[in-house]
Amino acid sequence: MSDDIILDIQNVTKRFPGVTALDNVSIQIRRGEIHGICGENGAGKSTLMKILSGVYPYGTYDGKILYDGKELQLKDRSIQQAMDQGIAIVYQELTLVTNMTVGENVYLGKEPTEHGSINWNKLYADTKEILNKYHLDVQPQAIVKHLGVGKMQMVEIAKALSENAKILILDEPTSALTEAEIDKLMEILKTLKSHGVTCIYISHKLEEFFRITDTVTVLRDGKSVITQPTSELDRDQLVKYMVGREMKERFPKGNRNPGEIILEVEDLHAEDPNQHGRMVLDGVSFNLRKGEILGIAGLMGSGRTELVTTIFGEYGKITKGAIKIEGKEVKLSNARQAMKHGISLVPEDRKGQGLVLMQTILKNISLPNLEQFSSFFRINSDAELAEASKQAKNLRIKAPSLQILCDSLSGGNQQKVVIAKWLMSKPKILIMDDPTRGIDVGAKFEIYKFMNELAEHGVSIIMISSELEEVLGMCDRVIVMCNGRSSDILDIQEATQERIMALATGIV
Amino acid sequence: MTVSSDTTSTKAPHGPIAELGQRFRQNIQTYTIILALVAIWVFFAFLTKGAYLSAQNFSNLFRQMTVTSFLAIGMVLVIVTGNIDLSVGKVAGFVSVVVAHFQARVWNHLIPDQPILAATLSVLIGLGIGTLFHCIQGYLTAYLNIPAFIVTLGGLFVMRGGILLVTQGKTIPANQPGFSFIAQGYASPTFGWIAAALVVIFLFFNMVNSRRRKRKYGFELQNFYIDLSVTIFFSILVVVYVYVVNQYNGIQMPVLLLAIAAIIMSYMSNNTRFGRYAYAIGGNREAARLSGINIKRNVFLVFVLMGFLCGVAGVVLASYVGYGTIAAGEGYELDAIASAILGGTSTLGGVGTIFGALTGSLIMSSLTTGLQMLNVAPAWQYLLKGMVLVLAVFGDVYFKKNK
Repeated sequence: MSDDIILDIQNVTKRFPGVTALDNVSIQIRRGEIHGICGENGAGKSTLMKILSGVYPYGTYDGKILYDGKELQLKDRSIQQAMDQGIAIVYQELTLVTNMTVGENVYLGKEPTEHGSINWNKLYADTKEILNKYHLDVQPQAIVKHLGVGKMQMVEIAKALSENAKILILDEPTSALTEAEIDKLMEILKTLKSHGVTCIYISHKLEEFFRITDTVTVLRDGKSVITQPTSELDRDQLVKYMVGREMKERFPKGNRNPGEIILEVEDLHAEDPNQHGRMVLDGVSFNLRKGEILGIAGLMGSGRTELVTTIFGEYGKITKGAIKIEGKEVKLSNARQAMKHGISLVPEDRKGQGLVLMQTILKNISLPNLEQFSSFFRINSDAELAEASKQAKNLRIKAPSLQILCDSLSGGNQQKVVIAKWLMSKPKILIMDDPTRGIDVGAKFEIYKFMNELAEHGVSIIMISSELEEVLGMCDRVIVMCNGRSSDILDIQEATQERIMALATGIV
Repeated sequence: MTVSSDTTSTKAPHGPIAELGQRFRQNIQTYTIILALVAIWVFFAFLTKGAYLSAQNFSNLFRQMTVTSFLAIGMVLVIVTGNIDLSVGKVAGFVSVVVAHFQARVWNHLIPDQPILAATLSVLIGLGIGTLFHCIQGYLTAYLNIPAFIVTLGGLFVMRGGILLVTQGKTIPANQPGFSFIAQGYASPTFGWIAAALVVIFLFFNMVNSRRRKRKYGFELQNFYIDLSVTIFFSILVVVYVYVVNQYNGIQMPVLLLAIAAIIMSYMSNNTRFGRYAYAIGGNREAARLSGINIKRNVFLVFVLMGFLCGVAGVVLASYVGYGTIAAGEGYELDAIASAILGGTSTLGGVGTIFGALTGSLIMSSLTTGLQMLNVAPAWQYLLKGMVLVLAVFGDVYFKKNK
């Protein structure tokens, strides 16, 4: 392999309001190699890829990127420009038009024309050529929706390659694939490499880096930690690089005395409600004590969100196992029933699931709790406002009035509104799905303090978190999810970042 | 002032003028359409040398808007929940011909010489048909997940067939005394003044009462002079309206009915769980679902309510025109949708007010009346109305983008 650098990323910094997503990142990628990039959720992988593929155009970030020795400047129509220059990306979510054929998808937006109409023969012939060249086993005329996820991924790759891509970026390509499909993908990547295509390979699954990559870069907190040939690394080292930071005083210490068991989950199995037979939970057991904070660690897609939404009655179809609240088995089939049993859920996606953005803070906070203020028909709007104001003050929501629309609030304040909304129903069990994602440090600290207060008052909290540090700093006990299964319950004293990461990536 | 010191008070503006200015900015969209309405009236008054604003024309203008207004105020909630109803015009039309059928061909055999009882029964039948038909459509949409567009498009065809079946292609008279009063009657001027006085008393009572309750909960009160001037402003509107229509026969019965329906609908959309849930469902279905809202039941009920209003519209239509015809209700669904959208209802769901839809409906009917008085050919009336609708929404999109 040559030392010919195709992509030289120099000191790239990308800031969002309140967050620095990439902090002075420098990576050199050699021509023809498969370069792995790994890191925790939120380490900056996706941001970097969005810069390379033109989603964040030139000028919205600092630093310099040399592509084939020349500075990469993607400006107007930057995504198209990136493709034209041979940088193609296959996103984690598939972006195919499923009602169209493989060929139509591969040439979408760049159909070969003749006198203004599409030359279908050429389109399918060219598609076939690409598919054959890289040994992609799909028929050009097949309708995409009839293909499995693995084959759809091949179509995505073919689509990216039809631009004569020099660099192909794959963002967590295996997250939805089966073992056999992953093997097939590995074969394809090797074929691509033999044709001289440079690949940037992003994944959570560490073993894949050892199978396929030549070099690995680890990102952590928006910084590039190391770039090393894969052959010089082993798994333990990689895990250490991913998590290796010391705990700082970022977590307020609570004074909690967890009491008796309030919630028990026993060997829970559940299937995807939209896809019969696909198990999303495959044996989960844990218990929750009164007044404790239980952490659920695990990577995205490990089943952690599916677990809590299933407990809340709004997701999976339970096929086996039981949920017991205060010793009694319950069957919850919607949010209302869960709320009646004292469960509240602060959902993962605050904009998509937590808030009605076009409505006021007041209306959002009171939405699930209107029964508290209504007689048979009428809502007592004064009582509603009084109670909502109390919650807003409690959580220190910063807004000039409760009549402000939620979409004008910062992420931290939006999250506080969601929490206020769910506290008003006075839950016994508060489930928080990644409650501090994407919010600034100050708001995080306030939310932590608030969680401690709640737990001290006897509320039991389940917190899903992508940040190991947060899990270790806030929780009394933790379970780790991987492939729909839970680990044993770890006491926080016996949990280390390395141990959790190892459980989450399925190494042990 | 205790509870809400740092969250609910608005500290920036001082004095009544600044507070009023802030209130204006918050409701800019509402004020814009009212201004547009006033501009249209001034424009036509100028071109018709004042005839446009004569008591008779003014009275007719409001009377004419009522049938589609009943449909428009129901349509707001349908669109707010993220649905659409294309069937309302023909459902109202069907109701009108069935009611006419009973009036002309049934009651005179069963209960001759009892016009009031006959009219009451006709009304009940009309309301029942509208509600029942929308129970079916609501069930198909909410519980069987068939898109509302398809269900109500089908409903439109079904009702068109129903109208032909009932009328057999003939026109059915519905101009019996008693029944005609519903949409052609007028309340006596004395009644008008009593009603106006009651409304004004209520407005003042409500202002005082709401301030008292707010104080009880410890909220900071709005400047008294603002509350007072707003109340006085609305009182004057009511008095002026009654004064003008009393110059010509008195308050129009269908307008009275519409006012009652609109007040109830407006109250429901703001002050009941049902209304709040409708807005939440349209604003973010997922958030509504996770908040424990029964989306299916709520959408179903919105359709049932729409059906009831179709029934009202149908009865008023039959009484207003005095007969049931095969063309009854033709195109009313489009007027209703246009009114709701002119009044600021978002086609994406989650946003819209009853008051806005009424204003939108009034704009449409003001345009129609004005253009008719100027003897503009129907072809040009349609062209103009279409352009006004698109322009109004364009203006809205444009201002939102550049806010």
